[in-house]
Amino acid sequence: MATDLISARARASFERIFQRAAQSRLVRNAGDAVQIDAMQTLPEEDRSFDAVAAEVVVLTISSIAFRLVLLLRVQHDAATQAYYVGDAARTLRETFIEYGNLCCGAINQELIGHFPDLGMSTPYVLSARCVSYLDALKPAYQAMYAVTIDGTVPLQAMICVCANTPVDFMADMSAAVEESSGELEFF
Amino acid sequence: MANILVVDDSSTVRDEVAGFLRKNGMDVDTAVDGKDGLAKVRANPGVKLVISDVNMPNMDGLTMVEKIRGELGNKTVNVVMLTTESSPAMKDRGKAAGVKGWIVKPFKGEAVLEAFRKLAA
Repeated sequence: MATDLISARARASFERIFQRAAQSRLVRNAGDAVQIDAMQTLPEEDRSFDAVAAEVVVLTISSIAFRLVLLLRVQHDAATQAYYVGDAARTLRETFIEYGNLCCGAINQELIGHFPDLGMSTPYVLSARCVSYLDALKPAYQAMYAVTIDGTVPLQAMICVCANTPVDFMADMSAAVEESSGELEFF
Repeated sequence: MANILVVDDSSTVRDEVAGFLRKNGMDVDTAVDGKDGLAKVRANPGVKLVISDVNMPNMDGLTMVEKIRGELGNKTVNVVMLTTESSPAMKDRGKAAGVKGWIVKPFKGEAVLEAFRKLAA
């Protein structure tokens, strides 16, 4: 079965890597609180036609062994607008696309240590209706999370991993990894 | 003519990086992808420093650098990649194309400001 292709410790590793990426990259200010709760099913409102008005930011990380799809959805409400955009003259959509890019980038950076052949997509925006079709990808691993940033900003995140061959690896399971981003490495 | 060019398909990143450098007294232009960046370097051969993303539509950042060095014959402009990518293979391609340095996002302006001043001088 496809679901047997990803080992238990690989699943735990994908989860831990996502949690670290979300905690470090989905926040506007370092140290802002991030609450991540696993969800078992989509909220009712996302299973109705009303979901067509919502959008998700989608990024993929591909290797020979697997494809990881990360979907992130924000509410277009005042709290989210204030948190991510503030007074800047740009849209929440434009702004959040880059946060999604940074989050997936952090996942990519950790996975590179285990899978050297990775490639990451640029972010793209799809209707949230696509979420109900994810099963068509026959993912070997799928997880959904309700994420709350700074106590006021609600997000949803989904990770789907489609595997072509058995995937087994063990990530660093500590709460945080050493941060080296932002430094200029001279060649 | 600006002596620094910031190339990124994200307006958020262009605003953040160019805004920070301008606030610190530097003259900065921006481009939205590798194709636009190549055109701007072609039009302004006096640019001293290009700060570029890797993954962009139309033309990626490393292809842009290869064309700056090859098609334009510009061997002197300093190029620093600002990207979420960190793979050794990608950095090797950058080195081979004559990239001077590599920064993994997110951008932390204070950490690189003096280095950028020297590269743009």
